[in-house]
Amino acid sequence: MYGSLDISTSALVAQRTRLTIVAANVANSQTILNADGEYDPYRRRFAVFATGDPATGSTQGVHVAEIRIDQGPLRPVLEPGSPFADEEGYVYYPNVQPVIEQMNAMEAARAYEANISAIEATKAMFSVALQIIA
Amino acid sequence: MIDGVTNTEGLSVLERLVQFSGQRHRLIVNNIANFDTPGYRPLDVSVRDFQAQMRDAIDERRTSARSGGSLNLEDSAQIEFSAGSMTLHPTPIGENILFHDGNDRDLERTMQDLVENFFTFRIATELLRSRYDILRSAIAERV
Repeated sequence: MYGSLDISTSALVAQRTRLTIVAANVANSQTILNADGEYDPYRRRFAVFATGDPATGSTQGVHVAEIRIDQGPLRPVLEPGSPFADEEGYVYYPNVQPVIEQMNAMEAARAYEANISAIEATKAMFSVALQIIA
Repeated sequence: MIDGVTNTEGLSVLERLVQFSGQRHRLIVNNIANFDTPGYRPLDVSVRDFQAQMRDAIDERRTSARSGGSLNLEDSAQIEFSAGSMTLHPTPIGENILFHDGNDRDLERTMQDLVENFFTFRIATELLRSRYDILRSAIAERV
């Protein structure tokens, strides 16, 4: 029972990381320049989960194995007047789709809640176990 | 353990039940943590098998005319018993459809398992507590 809290916490950390990535994607949905001010449209990031928890060295739990960059096609927008437009007048915008991000955010939030419920159950089990002695 | 006092009648049964539900809780929590992990197959042990093992052990103890004593529990493929503890070897449940990410999660059933297992634990601890209360009052009468 003791390891249960570690497992749930690892999931909370992983889901929050995922939510942070979603936030970064949404925030950068119109970003076409990189940090140095060069034309380099932002590409969507996504978290890849794997079992196991390196923080406790356990095979149970979950962690973010890597944050990958979505190499899907960028979104072309016709802006012939833009200094970043190509020969045909298109400026490429990030491949971030608000609907997908919204869905991911909701899924992460619900999974976070599910793990909170599991933590509540663990806590309740701790307290009833204590009552045996008291 | 004081033989004949701390393992009479229901006490050893309840103790095993607390152990089992405590360890199974960990499995369920792990399944919840891995709701979104690609390729993860939720793991669990069979509650039915555990109940059958308990039933056999209780029957065996009853027919051997012992009123108390520890239970002789037979190991199964999933549950291995030792003197003071038990080891669970969970296997994939595999009853739900496999999603595209290779995970066959079942949110509702998992949450139901969590609640059911929690109440099993709670019932077992409550009963265990009342048994200890009886012991305690028996001791108090003597002193």
